[in-house]
Amino acid sequence: MRSLDDFTAGETIVHGDWPLTAEAIVAFAAEYDPQPFHLDAAAPRTALTGGLVASGWHVAAIFMRMMCDSFLLDSTCMGSPGVDRLQWLKPVRPGDTLVGRTIVVEVRPSRSRPDRGIVRFRHEMANQHGETVMTIDNPILFGRRP
Amino acid sequence: VSAYDAIAVGETHDFGSYEFTAERIVGFARRFDPQVFHVDAEAAKATPYGGLIASGIHTIALTFRLFLMTGALNAENSLGSPGFDELKWLKPVRPGDTLRAAGEVLELRPSKAGDRGIVRLRYSTYNQKGETVFTVIGNQIVRRRPSGKE
Repeated sequence: MRSLDDFTAGETIVHGDWPLTAEAIVAFAAEYDPQPFHLDAAAPRTALTGGLVASGWHVAAIFMRMMCDSFLLDSTCMGSPGVDRLQWLKPVRPGDTLVGRTIVVEVRPSRSRPDRGIVRFRHEMANQHGETVMTIDNPILFGRRP
Repeated sequence: VSAYDAIAVGETHDFGSYEFTAERIVGFARRFDPQVFHVDAEAAKATPYGGLIASGIHTIALTFRLFLMTGALNAENSLGSPGFDELKWLKPVRPGDTLRAAGEVLELRPSKAGDRGIVRLRYSTYNQKGETVFTVIGNQIVRRRPSGKE
């Protein structure tokens, strides 16, 4: 199980690949982001985005799941205070395969609570062409090794 | 926020409310954030949260959905978003909480070309006790009204 003490600044954690279908894009959008360019490939408005594109919230949610499966579920994660910045850089389209990785920027044990600390991450999502589609700067709280 | 030129810094909008049931919390988290405090009410008791709480990604997605449902952002004026800043999860969201969201226009940044602009909005989400559970500054690209026309 990964604890705060098992992260090293500069380390890169590579997550699993995530192929994205039109069906998955539409299903997420219907529930959380019902804009025409996320929902309906035939809508006139969708032509302006060059076809169906995934909701940015969907891409963020997929990153969350990648991170859970890659290391978070087997860790001392105690949640996160927030996100400093999220940037959507390129559209994500049906048939794209998303590839996620997380870079450890800083590991900071808490001064007031010796049982925990904060890891500052830079998360990056790319497509199958190696283009970065999303970046997230995000601190996460972890327990320390007993 | 129907058209960029009708938006004023400082104006606020109520987005309405949404109930976070245990079923909705677990349903979202099983797909996207299956950490124990989001999916297992029993096991969650032993975590620092003392029970089931909603995934933060779920809270953001729902806040944005409430904003969309106001119709302020629509097929005619919405040109997407480059991202958001300063997202803060301030309080856990628990089963049975009814969240209410609101937005305040912080800043308008017209593009050089003049056909669009970025609206910086602070979204705030409150629970039924009036506690702020979540805030974020979103950036929306909004089409401008062609000059001299309505």
